[in-house]
Amino acid sequence: MREKLVIAFAVIGAILLAYNLYNIFLVLPDEVAQGYMYRIIYFHVPAAIVGMLGYFVAMTLSVLYLAGGDLRHDSLAASIVEVSVVFSLVNIVTGSIWARVQWGIWWTWDYRLTSALVCVLIFSGYLMLRRAIDEPTQRARLSAALTIFGCVDVVIVWKSIEWFRNNHPGPVLSIRTGGGKMDPAMEHTLLLNMLAILLVGVALVLVRSWQESTAREIDSLRRTAHV
Amino acid sequence: MNLLTQAFAVARKDLAIELRTKESLNAAGSFAIVILLIFSFAFDSFADEMNEFGGGLLWLVFAFAGALVFNRGFARELPNECLDTLLASPLSAAALVLGKAFANFVTLLVVEFVSMLVFGIFYSVDWSSQAGGIALVFALTTWGVSILGAVFGALTVNLRLRELMLPVIIYPLMMPILIAAIELTDAVLQHHSVGSQIQWVRVLVASDIVFTALAWALADTILVT
Amino acid sequence: MDARNFTFMFYGFLAAWLIVLVYVVSLARRGARLSKELEDVKHLVATTHKN
Repeated sequence: MREKLVIAFAVIGAILLAYNLYNIFLVLPDEVAQGYMYRIIYFHVPAAIVGMLGYFVAMTLSVLYLAGGDLRHDSLAASIVEVSVVFSLVNIVTGSIWARVQWGIWWTWDYRLTSALVCVLIFSGYLMLRRAIDEPTQRARLSAALTIFGCVDVVIVWKSIEWFRNNHPGPVLSIRTGGGKMDPAMEHTLLLNMLAILLVGVALVLVRSWQESTAREIDSLRRTAHV
Repeated sequence: MNLLTQAFAVARKDLAIELRTKESLNAAGSFAIVILLIFSFAFDSFADEMNEFGGGLLWLVFAFAGALVFNRGFARELPNECLDTLLASPLSAAALVLGKAFANFVTLLVVEFVSMLVFGIFYSVDWSSQAGGIALVFALTTWGVSILGAVFGALTVNLRLRELMLPVIIYPLMMPILIAAIELTDAVLQHHSVGSQIQWVRVLVASDIVFTALAWALADTILVT
Repeated sequence: MDARNFTFMFYGFLAAWLIVLVYVVSLARRGARLSKELEDVKHLVATTHKN
């Protein structure tokens, strides 16, 4: 059942990605000021949004674990954080390459860039913390606490382009600005690619959480065999 | 006994131990002064240039020295099962964390005060011209990092790689607070008033409130018998 | 300018796909290792019970 779900999400995500790539490269025109380079936005922004969404979902699952004690919530949270870190890295790297063309520099200490990097560091610390603790309930409890603190920075990343205006462009999506900042066709493709990346992300999370439950099964079997 | 009374009792205990042994003060204080010495070789001590990155240097020193203080905070309760005793007592977990944070706060402030004097001597900085502003910035920032240090000191106390995990976890979380402190300290060194950078004061106040509230809410989760 | 733009855009896409690919490969390897470990432990439990 789980395998079928993974395949379904992966296949639908892949088809959507292929359709979007066709649109991105062959249908949509160049951007007026940036030319060809702007097309990186169709991966840069969705990766960022899916990553941040992932952190918030992981925080919710962490709170659910603290409330209910179900280790499956913790396993799912850990899987989601891991996949979100990957997407956040995609966001930072693509942003850096875009910045090299647009601003002439690979990096700057702009508030959004700084807080995004800090976010990756915090949740990488989360993954390191999990490896440092063997006992499952202690690991779940302490990871949950760290996720909740970490989400304070996710809020800063999200809001930084409204609170501080520096190098990074301000909000362009209609959902934040009310419209007018981005061409409707481009925005449509961006949102569609966000869906595609989300579907691929969900497939990866399902695979990872299966691995977490396998690891738990191995642990309990070892205890049965007194090994 | 209410939360604050319990917290102050814990802080008083820790500070009494610290006054007697001076282990954190000596370690963090010496470390801070050595780093400042190394910085004075690394960077020329022309006062004008110092105004631009002096804040960053200082807070770098305090962040590193702080890690030494935070590590000791809960680690000193491990021998003789003192931590288990504290957790089994009527003391609430939130009071324990807050008390440790108060103790960290006072210890770190002492280290910062001594470092500021040394920094002032090496780089000819006159702190007295904006003493009030500087005091506010240092108090707000030190509380922010102290509460984080107490929470994550408690979280990492029983881990086998405690000395490594604590800095790895705590430094990224401290970033908003440190950045605000650096901006405000640089402003003071460049003879601007703290009021001209009020948005950073807001960041410090907001961070302090949020982290303290989260610490109070999650103390029971982190410290479990 | 256009050629440079295109080159960097290509690098950007390559970087994005490469990061995800590296992760997928590491996930696959971890999955294979876990499956093998599960089989080994199941076999161990079976032999322990037999004895």
